[in-house]
Amino acid sequence: PAASADAYAVVVLNQRLPRFAPLLWDRAQVRVCADGGANRVFDGMPELLPGHARDDVRSRYKPDVIKGDMDSVRPEVKEYYSNLGTKIADQSHDQDTTDLHKCVAFITDNSPGSDKSNLCILVLGALGGRFDHEMGNINVLHLFPNIKIVLLSDDCLIFLLPRTHTHSIHIERSVEGPHCGLIPVGTPSTSTTTTGLRWNLGKCFTWSISCGVIQQQLMFQCIFSSDNTHMSFGGLISTSNIVDEDQVMVTSDSDLIWTISLRH
Amino acid sequence: MRICADGGANRIFDEMSQMTNDLDRNRYIPEIVEGDMDSIRPEVKRFYSSQGSKISDKSHNQETTDLHKCISSIRHRTPDHEKANLCVLVTGALGGRFDHEAANINVLYVFSDMRIVLLSDDCLIQLLPKTHHHEIYIESSVEGPHCGIFPIGAPSTSTTTTGLKWNLSDAEMRFGSMISTSNIVDSDKVTVQSDADLLWTISLRNLT
Repeated sequence: PAASADAYAVVVLNQRLPRFAPLLWDRAQVRVCADGGANRVFDGMPELLPGHARDDVRSRYKPDVIKGDMDSVRPEVKEYYSNLGTKIADQSHDQDTTDLHKCVAFITDNSPGSDKSNLCILVLGALGGRFDHEMGNINVLHLFPNIKIVLLSDDCLIFLLPRTHTHSIHIERSVEGPHCGLIPVGTPSTSTTTTGLRWNLGKCFTWSISCGVIQQQLMFQCIFSSDNTHMSFGGLISTSNIVDEDQVMVTSDSDLIWTISLRH
Repeated sequence: MRICADGGANRIFDEMSQMTNDLDRNRYIPEIVEGDMDSIRPEVKRFYSSQGSKISDKSHNQETTDLHKCISSIRHRTPDHEKANLCVLVTGALGGRFDHEAANINVLYVFSDMRIVLLSDDCLIQLLPKTHHHEIYIESSVEGPHCGIFPIGAPSTSTTTTGLKWNLSDAEMRFGSMISTSNIVDSDKVTVQSDADLLWTISLRNLT
């Protein structure tokens, strides 16, 4: 059976769960904990649902798989979930890829059909914390550009906009925005155009007419062309922008990271 | 010199005495409070103003971030002969909203001739401009062992390091390919030479 367009997988990394974690977990098709992410689900879900008995919460919010090099998951947590039927996929022999990379590879290998373009993976705990971990997680977005992988925190979400496509981003205004940004991580962009933002990127022209009186009346007509299509670290990057419409369009000659704030 | 960027003043006001068990707020007065003033609480602004902090209201300037304004301000107030020795430590630049974090990292690139260190509870980051060979001395009582190097602005075709567990030797680094994460410092001194501007990060030990 074809997966519904709204189907997604959840991956939990080793950081405090965001407040909306139970909601995202409920509607996921598959739930993977990356190593110490299992500790976070074990400890954090009961905290987020204080009105319910701990064991009830833990059995309800049980990962399908715990994957990674297993150097962070507590032995009692691993055993608890293993007893409930969670698959433990130990990859401690593979030190070349990050835990998130292993989880994304697992999900893509195990998802039905050869067309992965409908696959959506939501990741909790990928931002903040140790900066090298955050960079490694962002690099996973670049390594799997054909899969929609969304990194979420309490404050915002980010995903990759590959340069190969024009992107039409639907803004769910009840939960997203208004703050947003476009960031050229890894390579500068020489040409980016957007619509739907308060401060759009792209070429724009301004007309200005001034009159100067010297000996005779002189009229000067000036055409200013301003080019704010270039983005790079050290130059312009689009931050503290605002979504002004329900649909934001982005075209660029380089891969960009899109970010939008989440409402509380 | 101690500068609060806008709502950073709220943080000092609320949290410093909690952390030090010292109820005397007068001990933690910033010399300057700078920025567009849309986050600082009015009573906090009044308190610091009454204690002698200079309130530098830059709300007319919406083009630059609060951190950018603070760095400009520090630069402006530093005599030329002291600029080479100046180091700016920034707290609160990482985590939170991703676009804020990116803008703060961009400030390192924009002011690449200054030493600016962004700090969090977990780590610090610094820019290693491509123009220099870098020698990084590791204070192992507080720093490490986890570290990493990232070509955030543009790829590197050649980076060489010493002092790391997995050193790079004339290596290419690029987002979408190889970047150095979860590396380990193996020596008191790490050296880095590259054809691209790189971000260096090292973890901070939990001292509690």
